[in-house]
Amino acid sequence: MSIEVHDLHFRYGKIVALGGVTMRLGEGAVGLLGPNGAGKSTLLRILLGFLVPDRGEGKVLGHDIRRDQALIRRAIGYMPESDCFVAGMDAVTFTAYFGELSGMPRQEAMKRAHEVLFYVGLGESRYRLLDQYSAGMKQRLKLAQALVHDPRILFLDEPTSNLDPHGRVEVLDLIRDISTNKDIQVLISSHILADIESICSSVVILNKGQVAAEGRMENLRAVRYSLYELRIKGDGEAFRADLESMGCRIDVTEDRLIKVYMPPEGDRMDIFRSASRTGVQLRYFVKSRTSLEDLFAGAVGVD
Amino acid sequence: MAATVRAKGYAHWDGRLVERRFPWWPITRTGIQLAFRKKRFKFAFAISFVPAFVMLAGLYVSERLEDFQSFLRGSDRLIKITPDYFKVYLTNDSLLFLIVLVLAFAGSGLVADDLKHSSLQLYFARPLRKRDYLLGKMSVVAFFVLILTALPGIALLAFKLIFAGSFKFFLDHPWLPLAILGYSALLTVFFAFTVLLLSSLSKNSRYVVILIFVGFFFSSILHGILYGIFRKPALALFSVPANLQQTGAFLFGQKLPYAFPAGWSFLVLAAVCALSAFVLHRKIRSVEVIK
Repeated sequence: MSIEVHDLHFRYGKIVALGGVTMRLGEGAVGLLGPNGAGKSTLLRILLGFLVPDRGEGKVLGHDIRRDQALIRRAIGYMPESDCFVAGMDAVTFTAYFGELSGMPRQEAMKRAHEVLFYVGLGESRYRLLDQYSAGMKQRLKLAQALVHDPRILFLDEPTSNLDPHGRVEVLDLIRDISTNKDIQVLISSHILADIESICSSVVILNKGQVAAEGRMENLRAVRYSLYELRIKGDGEAFRADLESMGCRIDVTEDRLIKVYMPPEGDRMDIFRSASRTGVQLRYFVKSRTSLEDLFAGAVGVD
Repeated sequence: MAATVRAKGYAHWDGRLVERRFPWWPITRTGIQLAFRKKRFKFAFAISFVPAFVMLAGLYVSERLEDFQSFLRGSDRLIKITPDYFKVYLTNDSLLFLIVLVLAFAGSGLVADDLKHSSLQLYFARPLRKRDYLLGKMSVVAFFVLILTALPGIALLAFKLIFAGSFKFFLDHPWLPLAILGYSALLTVFFAFTVLLLSSLSKNSRYVVILIFVGFFFSSILHGILYGIFRKPALALFSVPANLQQTGAFLFGQKLPYAFPAGWSFLVLAAVCALSAFVLHRKIRSVEVIK
């Protein structure tokens, strides 16, 4: 396991940011999801070694998160969410500079900077001043500086924000290439569920400082919920109340499609029985594939 | 772009990351290089050597007397070179102004630009500690202060010996190199802390330039006003240049310009440095790596 934490607790004063997070992340791309305030940033801060947990233990690539912070940062590439650069520099100098600060010899860092800038698609503009870069170029530059020292794990915070659709596809291609072909594990924190769904093989969903769901995407889809989509004619309120009394979660879309999240122990025949009890006609009934959006909504308990 | 990505591909780096003895050195080197990319800085830096050349000319005139006989009127020397001559170079107002000018251009953005462009998170995502970051930035200031103080000071002393053709001056004042280096070190430490402090107070380096000038010269104006009202020498403790002159005179073994112990000035300067270190410690936080 490349990242392993056990019973992590952390508080900001009286506010509990993490309340006993335990997880084990293996190879490949992992999505870190959660609503605002769920504890994603705090968890990343702890994994990067900036915060020391109040309680609990953790290891990143076998390095203790309390003691071996420098070793962890040496092995990690971090791409922050916000725009960040050093004024007055060009992309090659910038990328080489951070490679050198990671511990690369100066000449090697410069050579490697050229390589990664070509890789992220900034080869032609690598001598241009960063002050003149567009938002999309800065996003790729951040990926380049995170890759320059060839880390074993990449932490990507909202990697596709500020990108147009074409740029987003290209950056996702890069991340997919890195995580699948290059033996680099990627931990992506993002609010764009479609991005996570297209890249990640596993997800960790945090909610209120705790792990709400964790595992491989296909397992979570299969095990956690059975999702049914239906359309009805009749007293929807009574039908809904009856289903909720059986432990189902109900969402109704704008076009009156009813989504029923059936708990693992539930039986789909219960839906038919409920319809019969409440005098509702079922006009449409489909077992749906649980999307990440559905999974997220189910785990976090929001629409 | 996609073609470029597919054509080049991602390749692992087969080198080995090293643990540097001075992890702050790349920050210092880059800070110095970035300063020299500014045109206004290059101009300020060039003119800041004018006082050193004037003093060098004075040394030449003093020692190569035979070339300047026509200027003498009854005196055996046109300029008498004593340790005070070196103290005057290092503590005169024009050099202090030029140091502040150079630091305004080279040092104002050291932290301010990192705050403005959120690059602290990139630094601290590397195996760098806060002290490495601050040391790297302070060393940029130290480089420019030393190049304007210790380097010309020692060079002037060397030229004095070369022009005189003997070591007599050095043998008469063997402590002089130490005084030059000691005072240069004092200026370096003081400016390193204060310039970094001022640079961390704003995200806009132009405001920091104003803060640097106001910080160093407003204190003299305040001293002038207070002295005009109360006529007490100890009020010079409010003035940064006055405190520097007082400590300089002490280190060079000269008469103190103000009637209070030099130790008080040392304490004032040390207190300013301690306050700067405290504020910097609070302002520069590695935890800001993720907002």
